[in-house]
Amino acid sequence: MDLFLQLVANGLVLGAFYALSALGLTLVFGLMRVVNFAHGELYVIGGLFGWALTVVFGWNYFLALVVVVFVLGILGYFIDQLLIARVRGQGEEPTILLTIGLSIFIANTALLIVGTTPVTVASPFASKPLFLGPVVITQARLVLVAICAVLIAAANLLIQKTTLGCAMRATFQDPMAAQLVGIRTPRIYGFTFALGATLAGAAGMLLGSIYVVEASTGGIISLKAFVVVILGGMGSFAGAVAGGLILGLTEALWGGYVSTGYVDAIGFALVIVTLLVRPYGLFSRRAERA
Amino acid sequence: MKLERNFLLAAVALGALIPLLAYNEYALHIGIMIMFSVMLATSLNLIVGYVGEFPLGHTAFFGIGAYSAALLSVRFGLPIYVTIPLAGIVAAIAGLAIGAVTLRLRGPFFVIVTLCFAEVLRLVANNWIELTNGPMGVSGIAKPAAIAGAAGVQQKLWFYYAGLALVTISLLISYRFVYSNIGRAAVAVRENRFVAQSIGIWPFYLGLVTFVLAAAVGGLAGGFYAHYISYVGPEVFGFSFMITMIIMVLAGGKGTLAGPLVGAVLVVFLEEFLRDFKDLRFSIFGLIVVAVVIFLPRGLMGFIGRRRESYDRRPAGPAEGGAKRNRLAPAIESAALNRGGAADA
Repeated sequence: MDLFLQLVANGLVLGAFYALSALGLTLVFGLMRVVNFAHGELYVIGGLFGWALTVVFGWNYFLALVVVVFVLGILGYFIDQLLIARVRGQGEEPTILLTIGLSIFIANTALLIVGTTPVTVASPFASKPLFLGPVVITQARLVLVAICAVLIAAANLLIQKTTLGCAMRATFQDPMAAQLVGIRTPRIYGFTFALGATLAGAAGMLLGSIYVVEASTGGIISLKAFVVVILGGMGSFAGAVAGGLILGLTEALWGGYVSTGYVDAIGFALVIVTLLVRPYGLFSRRAERA
Repeated sequence: MKLERNFLLAAVALGALIPLLAYNEYALHIGIMIMFSVMLATSLNLIVGYVGEFPLGHTAFFGIGAYSAALLSVRFGLPIYVTIPLAGIVAAIAGLAIGAVTLRLRGPFFVIVTLCFAEVLRLVANNWIELTNGPMGVSGIAKPAAIAGAAGVQQKLWFYYAGLALVTISLLISYRFVYSNIGRAAVAVRENRFVAQSIGIWPFYLGLVTFVLAAAVGGLAGGFYAHYISYVGPEVFGFSFMITMIIMVLAGGKGTLAGPLVGAVLVVFLEEFLRDFKDLRFSIFGLIVVAVVIFLPRGLMGFIGRRRESYDRRPAGPAEGGAKRNRLAPAIESAALNRGGAADA
């Protein structure tokens, strides 16, 4: 029983992290209809940048986080304006190929610059274990789960309550009508992608203090994020959280009771089954079929 | 059609003559890599170009073919003449199973789910140690008995002509398929799914037939690779083969048979040319993909040639090409416009 509780706790923590790493992806897909295959690479850039600032230059963690958020936002804005804008309106395929090309470029360039050594972001949170009854969790993980919750809530508020969020939703519901009421839609596209990149980079830096960051892991991160997003339904924050928790719990329990070898395959098996049974995700109300 | 056929015939004839001009190990090795790449590119192109979906996990079939040939050769001692065709058949069966699942999905979902399959297979290859020897891979795959004691260059020559034979078979199958009724129906589905359905074409079935064919060609390539390199490890399911396949098909021009051939030759030479910048190579490849998508959406052959089945709804660039397109196939052009409308809806 104690083992079960510990595994569930691990699964929930892992699930919160998965949700965080998938947030940018689900935002960009839900609003822009762009499937960003470079998502994992943006995550890796965030992590590597965080490592460079905190470890190599010895900056304060939070200052570094702010810088990472800004840099990734600007990078995302320019990726959208310079690249994605050129294939906008041509359907899904060019964007998919474009982001695949971008991910190949970023991953291998990062590999050239940083090398294959895994790095860790220097974190101010203690990795001291906390004992909650029979369950053991490190302090750093608990703090990060709280930050995850705050970030998810903040992103949701930004989309639902602010003027910018309103303009975003208007643009993606009907670009023509949005333009007619004075929204500068090209910028909104840029801001949305920038927000997605920011979330990816922030996730990379935050999780980089617990796990390691490697230049070559972007593909796996993207894939896991896709798993989360598909399980929860593309484009919904609540779905991303639910998908993250499902994936985290399943992996933790499978790893604890069955075998550790195939833990990574579980998520993919879940996706294959989900797409066959409920192609629009487990929780999506919108009848959006694959 | 005639242009394409003549081009392919000329390419194969040229391929048969090359060893007379460049009879050394290095040149033959490049030639063999070209043969292998043409098979891979042709295989991917069948799905990208004629189903219109993008299988990001296409290495699954290449890997299955490579592992089948390797295991059949090492465990059962079967000769190469048996293992390579069997590799194609095993891959085709896998293609039937995977295609039946994945082809229900479209767009990004198809991309992701095929990627999931390749990733699952990679994990299986890594973890099922009794069968695949895990991360160590299968090594010591036998070369054919005919060249067992021969010098290096003669072995290469044998593999070169074996590769050429396999390429010819692959291209022949693809050609016969593309210009059959099924192939034309597949193009109709690619151009406008709804119109195709309205005249009684069943997209899922066509997609599945194409998928199985592509898987078989990929499996042949895998079997050939396994015997030539004489080692197979889990990295055959990895992403680097996928990257080169994507570039070959996109740069050459998807949806044409000559395009992937040209793309494969280009990429192999480019890889050799960029060998000095070993790691920079993939960065450059990433940039090439981005540039091709933005500037050359129909690939090199689409740019040079007078391919009539346009996928792009922008007006044709060069005046001559545009005139030709209008004269030959006005119906297809308007279908392409329709497709764009449907995609927006």
